[in-house]
Order: sequence, then structure tokens, then C-alpha cells
Amino acid sequence: MSPRAAARTERELVARAQAGEVAAFEELVGLHADRLFAVVLRLVGDRVEAEDVVQESLLRAWRGIGRFQARSMFFTWLYRIALNEANRALEKRGRAGRSVPVDDEAVQLAAPAHEGPARQAEHEELRQALELAIASLAPPYRTALVLRDVEGLSTREAAGIVGIGEAAFKSRLHQARLKVRDALGDAALLAGTS
Amino acid sequence: MSHYVEGDLGWLARRRLELHAEECIDCGRGIRAVRALVRVLHGTANRPAAPAPAGIFDLVRAEASRARGDEDRPHGA
Repeated sequence: MSPRAAARTERELVARAQAGEVAAFEELVGLHADRLFAVVLRLVGDRVEAEDVVQESLLRAWRGIGRFQARSMFFTWLYRIALNEANRALEKRGRAGRSVPVDDEAVQLAAPAHEGPARQAEHEELRQALELAIASLAPPYRTALVLRDVEGLSTREAAGIVGIGEAAFKSRLHQARLKVRDALGDAALLAGTS
Repeated sequence: MSHYVEGDLGWLARRRLELHAEECIDCGRGIRAVRALVRVLHGTANRPAAPAPAGIFDLVRAEASRARGDEDRPHGA
């Protein structure tokens, strides 16, 4: 589907959802659901909690769809709601004194099948270290890294979702990369990706 | 270095850093490490961690169903 056709489909689905059609809302969200769940899982680190956060986010989005105006892309609007919900869940967890767990599926690096066992093990070590490093970042840094570097959103899109200016977002991203780089070490990064 | 990798530096600052990194082992290694990190993280983007569970619309459906029920109920019931 061309970008123009996709935008038209999205506009039509938004209009139908705003008229109260649940099926249209589900179709609209369905276009982004897997990525949305992946982002939330990477932020909260726990599948059950991620599902709760996404469910609650979608309920908020459904209740607020009438107020959605096409000033931003639908996915930007939806991600912003989900990010707020994830932050709420993380704050609640912080108050309860629990840290972010590491879900085995939160970060997946594909190791090419032709690699030998030693290289595969190295790759697995890097993956685990990366998971830990991302999980140990404070939420604002983790969010910046996940949106920009893992999800591949543009700086503009990611900053819009977080609700800060592009310069402030870049600074946050820079700090997050430095922290992860420090945690992993240059040798591991260069060996694991060479 | 992150700003360099992002392409945020102006031509002069970029060139200065590149010339410096040719001489400075630490900075050259640092640039390669940040590039490697970004490449590794980007590499995960096309592999969603897990598909969204089937139940993500449960709350929406329940609310929509309640709303329909309220509309269908006779006035005064």
C-alpha cells in the first residue's frame, strides 16, 4: 500500500472509530499493536504488566478518540498515551520498591545461523548484557533509547511522543547511549558486532 | 560522539573530530563503539519482541458493550 493510500485508510478508520465503531478502532490500532506492545514490554520489562499497560492505554485511547485531531499521526498519539501509562506503572512500581525486571524477549538480536557455537555464545552474552543495561537505565533515558534506537523513530517523532523538544531529546539519547556503552564496554560492543 | 553519529555536527566540527580520531586511539574506538551500539539497537527494531497478546482489546470491548447496553435499555428501566 502506498503511503498516501495508507494515510487515507487511517483517516477513514479514525473517522469510523470516532463515530463509535469498535471494529474500526481495533483495525486502526491493529496496524501498530505489535510494535506498541514491543515498546511497552521494553519499557516495563514484564509481559503481564506490559499487557495491562497496553490494555489500559487502549481504553484511554478509545475514550479519547473523539478528541484526536489529525495534527499528529495516530501512532504518535497512541504511543504518547502508552508511554504515559508505562510511566505511571513504573512510578507505582518504584513506590513499591521494585526494579525493572528483564524479560527474555524484550531485546532480541538475531545471530546469523552460519555462525559457530562460540560466536553464537558471544552474541547471546551481548544480548543479555544489553538487556540488563537497558533495564537499569532510568525511565526517561530508557524511553529515549527504545524509541529512537530500537524502534527507529525519527528524533522528531520520538521527541513528540515524549513531549519534549528535539534538542532536549537528543541530549537524553546521548546520555542513554553513554550509559549503555559504559555498561557494555567498548571491547564487547566492537567484538559482538564485527 | 553520539552527536557525531547522529550527523548533528556541522561540517567543521565533524571534520575536526574525524582528524582527531585518526590520531587518538580512544576517540576512534569510541566512535566505532557508539556506531556499533546504534547498529545493534537498530537491528532489534525489525524483530518485535513478541506479538501483542490477543486480550489487549478486552477493556475496550467491555466498555463499548456496556455503552451499547445502556443505549438499548428502555428509558426508566
